[in-house]
Amino acid sequence: MKNKIKVQRAIHNLTQDDLAKKIAVSRQTINTMESGKYVPSTVLALKMAKLFGVPVEELFELEDED
Amino acid sequence: MKQIKLFPHSYQRIGYVLLVPFLALGIAHMFFEFNPSWLEFKMITNGQLEFSASHNFTDEVASVGLIISLILIAFSKESIEDEAIQFFRLEALQWAVYANYLVLIISILAVYGTTFFQVMTYNMFTVLIIFILRFRYILFQYNKVGYEK
Repeated sequence: MKNKIKVQRAIHNLTQDDLAKKIAVSRQTINTMESGKYVPSTVLALKMAKLFGVPVEELFELEDED
Repeated sequence: MKQIKLFPHSYQRIGYVLLVPFLALGIAHMFFEFNPSWLEFKMITNGQLEFSASHNFTDEVASVGLIISLILIAFSKESIEDEAIQFFRLEALQWAVYANYLVLIISILAVYGTTFFQVMTYNMFTVLIIFILRFRYILFQYNKVGYEK
């Protein structure tokens, strides 16, 4: 699964720390999600989409192998 | 989201503090035949207090104490307990169960007689110990993740 968390974070001018605090997870979780090592739950995905004001499909995208 | 039931974060420290005396007691009992007289109790048999029969409770106290302290260390929340941490916790637990039973299978095949009882004694604690080590290692790797603006 691909994601555009990093891009959206840049658009909203947030550091990993800022985003982590806003959605109540650790900074490392943001990092591992951005690098695709951890796939967030639906709840967390929706929280981020809401925060960035985009539909969740814009934040996450399926890849061929999924 | 539904959370797994865990102890508060502060209980982890209590677990480590309790671990020291109980581990010391266990080691002293196992290897140096340490059986203090204040842990010697008269046993009630057939509903009567039999004065000849007594039992030393050193190993019982050490085992129960060790299990409780290991449980507290293993299943207390991290300072930030988010869903990724819970995922790693479950992953580590599964890994620990696999590793523990692999070691147990090898022991069953390789160790016989009374020595095997010693293996079973250690086996009461190994699943928790392996889990704690594995989980700590995963978190150590996780916390090394570099910082990006």
